[in-house]
Order: sequence, then C-alpha cells, then structure tokens
Amino acid sequence: MSQQSLTLPAPGAAADKKRRLLELLGAASIAATFIFLVLAQPSDITNGVGSASTLLALGGFLLGAILLILGVLPTLPTSTLVLIPVALVLNIALGQIMGTTGLPFYFDAIGTVLIAVLAGPAAGAATGALSSIIWSFFNPTVLPFAAGAALIGFLAGMAARYGLFRRFYLAPVAGFATGIIAGVVSAPIAAFVFGGTSGAGTGAIVSAFRAMGDTLLAAITKQALISDPMDKAIVFAIAALLVYALPRRATFRFPFVRRFNVLAGKAPVAAS
Amino acid sequence: MLSRLNPLTTLAACGAAATFTVAASNWPVSVAVAVAALGAGVGAGVLRRVLAASAVILLPLWFSLLVLHGLFFPEGRTVLAGWGPARITVEGLAFALEMGTRTTGCVLVLLLFSFVVNVPDLVATMTTRRIPPQFGYVLASTLTLAPAITEQLARIRQAQEARGLVLGGSLVQRLAAARLQMVPLVLALIQDAAERAHALDARGFNSPGPHSTYREVADTRGQRTFRRAVLGLAAAAVILRLSASWFGVPVLPSPLAGNE
Repeated sequence: MSQQSLTLPAPGAAADKKRRLLELLGAASIAATFIFLVLAQPSDITNGVGSASTLLALGGFLLGAILLILGVLPTLPTSTLVLIPVALVLNIALGQIMGTTGLPFYFDAIGTVLIAVLAGPAAGAATGALSSIIWSFFNPTVLPFAAGAALIGFLAGMAARYGLFRRFYLAPVAGFATGIIAGVVSAPIAAFVFGGTSGAGTGAIVSAFRAMGDTLLAAITKQALISDPMDKAIVFAIAALLVYALPRRATFRFPFVRRFNVLAGKAPVAAS
Repeated sequence: MLSRLNPLTTLAACGAAATFTVAASNWPVSVAVAVAALGAGVGAGVLRRVLAASAVILLPLWFSLLVLHGLFFPEGRTVLAGWGPARITVEGLAFALEMGTRTTGCVLVLLLFSFVVNVPDLVATMTTRRIPPQFGYVLASTLTLAPAITEQLARIRQAQEARGLVLGGSLVQRLAAARLQMVPLVLALIQDAAERAHALDARGFNSPGPHSTYREVADTRGQRTFRRAVLGLAAAAVILRLSASWFGVPVLPSPLAGNE
C-alpha cells in the first residue's frame, strides 16, 4: 500500500495552474467588488435599503473568499493544514483570555496572524477566510467579513516574509498598516450588509460622524480607520510576543520561517 | 425531521432562504422568514439553542442600529423629536427596522442550519463531492477541538494558579497573567498539531485523487429536485433584484421608497 502510494504521479503542472488561477480569480473578485462598491456605486444606501449593493458585496466577497480557499487549501502541506483548526480556535480562545483583561478591544485575529507568521501569506489568507466561514456556524454575522479576514492573514504573512517580525517594534507598525487596509475593505460590508456596527463603542463613533452629516459609508469608514489600526497593531504585537515565546524547535519546524528567516536568529543545533 | 434530511438539502434550503431575504429586503418578508425559522426550530427541537445563540448576536445589533439610525439620520425629513444634533426621524427608524429585520431573518435561518445539521454527515457528503477533503477536515476538527481547547485552558489556569498565578490586579499584572496562560496553551497546541500531521500523512490524507468515506449519507431524488428548485428560486430572486436596480423596475416597494 505505502509502496504503491510512493509511485503515484505527483499532481501535474495543469493542476497547479488551475489552483493559481483560482487564487487569482478569488483575489480579483474581492478587489473588483471593493472597487465597484466604493468608486462606481456610491449612491448611499440610506436613500433606501440598497439591496443590489448588498447582494453584490456579499456575493463578490464570499465568492472571492471561497475561490481563495479552494485554490490555497489543497497546496498546503499537512503540517500547516493541521494548524488551521488550532488557529481558528485560538482566534476564539485567546479573544476570551484577552476579554478577562478588561481591555476594550476585540482581538479576533490572533490565531490567523500567528499562522501567517509561521506558514506564510497563502496559509494566512486561507486561515482568515476559513475562520470566518467556520465561525459563522456560531455567529452568521461574521460570514460577510471573510474577505477582510483573508486580507489580514495575507498581509500578516507578507509582513513576516519581508522581515517585519524580526524586531518586536516593527510588528505593531505592520499591524497598524494592515488595520488601515482591512478597515477600509471591511467598512462597505458593515455599511451595506448590516447598516452599522454592533459594538457599543464603535457604534458611538459612527453616531458622532453621522451627527456631523457624513454619509453612512463615510462614517463607518472613518470609524474603521480609528478602531482597526489600533486593534491590529495590538494583535500583531501579541502574535509576535507569542512567536518569540515559543521554543526554536517549534518555530523552525516551519519551512516558511527557515526560508525567509522570519524570526531573526539561528536554527537550533538539533534541527540544523 | 430536519436532521434526518441530507445535509446538502438543509444547507440549500437555509442558504436560499437567507439569499431570498437579502434580495427581497422588505421587512414583512424578513419577519416571515424569521418566524418560519423559529417554527422550524420548534419542529426540530432546537428552538432554545437557536434563541440563546441569536440573542447574543442580535440584541447588541438592534441596540446599536436603533441608537445610530434612530437618533442620527441626517437624511431624515420627518422629525418626531430633536435635541440638538440628535433627531428622531421616521426615515431613520424605518431604516433601522429594515436593516434589523433583514439581519435577524438571515441569522435565525443560518443558526437553524448549524444547530440542525449533523457535522459528520456534512463532512462525508462534502468528501464525495468535489470539495477539497482539507475543508472537511478543518471544519470537523475545529468543531471538535473547540471544547477540548476550552478544557485545556481551564487546566492550564488551574496549574498556574496552583503555582501562585493571581488573576486580576493592575493592568500589567493581568497582562502578565494572560501571557502565563497563552504561551503554554499555544505551545501545547502546536506540538499536538505536529503529531496529528504525522498521523494524517501516514494515512495518505494529502494524497491526490478522490477520497472515499465510510459514512453513507442517504439522498433521495425528491431532495435533489427540492435543492435544485430552492436554489433556482434564490437565483431568480437575486437576478430580479439586480435587474430591478439597474433598469429601474420596482419589484417589492419598500416602505422607505414612499417617503423619498
């Protein structure tokens, strides 16, 4: 049995090309939906519930997230794949621990960022999107944010690839920049799908901007630009602290960490 | 009754109902969908769980929508009461009602699906379709891992408390306590994951080609027809709504439209 499986042909170049195409289509779908929502159709939904905009936002972002998952998931090695459920549960469990500290932040992306740092941007994007889809089994309102979560995972992986996790002080900077992009991308979802945000603090900020006469999309985007960069800066810092606290033998098991020297330092003697 | 259906049938029905609710965006339709979901929940015996889970999500959302649009709606014309910048307008309340009922309908229908569906059946069905087996693994693994990790976290906290960890105190102390719980948890999880990877690889999990499953999930011709019908209906609703918005044909007049 095992001998037979050794002689199985490796998945061909055609399958790889198909997966690459799926990834590109997914990213294109997310980008096109966002551009369409923001640039081409700013007719504000408060003039009547913009059901067509909602359908396009939901459809485009969800389709993009699903295509990304279908493209990335089969290419991940098993060692990375088994980490994804762990990341999803960490997103929940670490959020709960941080909740006991009484800080007014959400921290629902720690696991996603952790995987992105250890296993790279593709794994990060797949983890983010899957996290939203599976979390929606308990809370369906997170489902529309799958594309934003994928973007956070992807950007965290890119930050790790270019060495922003080698120094502790660079991680929050990368998180801040990620938060700006993720906030701007997620704001149309909050506006078109839910007509607002569900948190008390974020709701107060949106109300303040609305009281000044902003459109709903503008108010929510401004609120996202206030909350998200701060939240993501802290999440990136926590993920960096966690990765630094892990022993080398755990982190250097990941090819991505070794190849791009993600965490400055030498490989442990036993593994080299 | 619902839990005995093929998981794809339940998924198609609930997904189509949610899509239809969004496409209609009309509060009587949303309320009807919500009531139907609750009725189906009574039939499947999951009403209490659906209500508990949805209350956690929907109460803050409704509160936020009512405060946000009820008090601050610059587009509103018909003012009921006003204090400086805060004005209660008919349009704002109508918008909050429209958005709130739409989300409520979708959330109830989707929660009904997640409480009714049998996850092993769902994973087995997905394996026999052309969905990557990795997706089924991640889904099933997360749902079984969540309670296990909560338990592990409680054990770590007990162990650290036995060594003198104090929860509470100043912010720095609380952050230090969080770190003392997080690091052992993450380390143990990554270690476990590595062992699981070896076990899965040894069983040819990542090998290419079709995967088979031991679990047989019943499917009938009637259910297949039903799935096609509801998905077609949802697609028709979406197309109708999109063409209505692009070509300016009113489909279901929203109560808001009359106030413009």
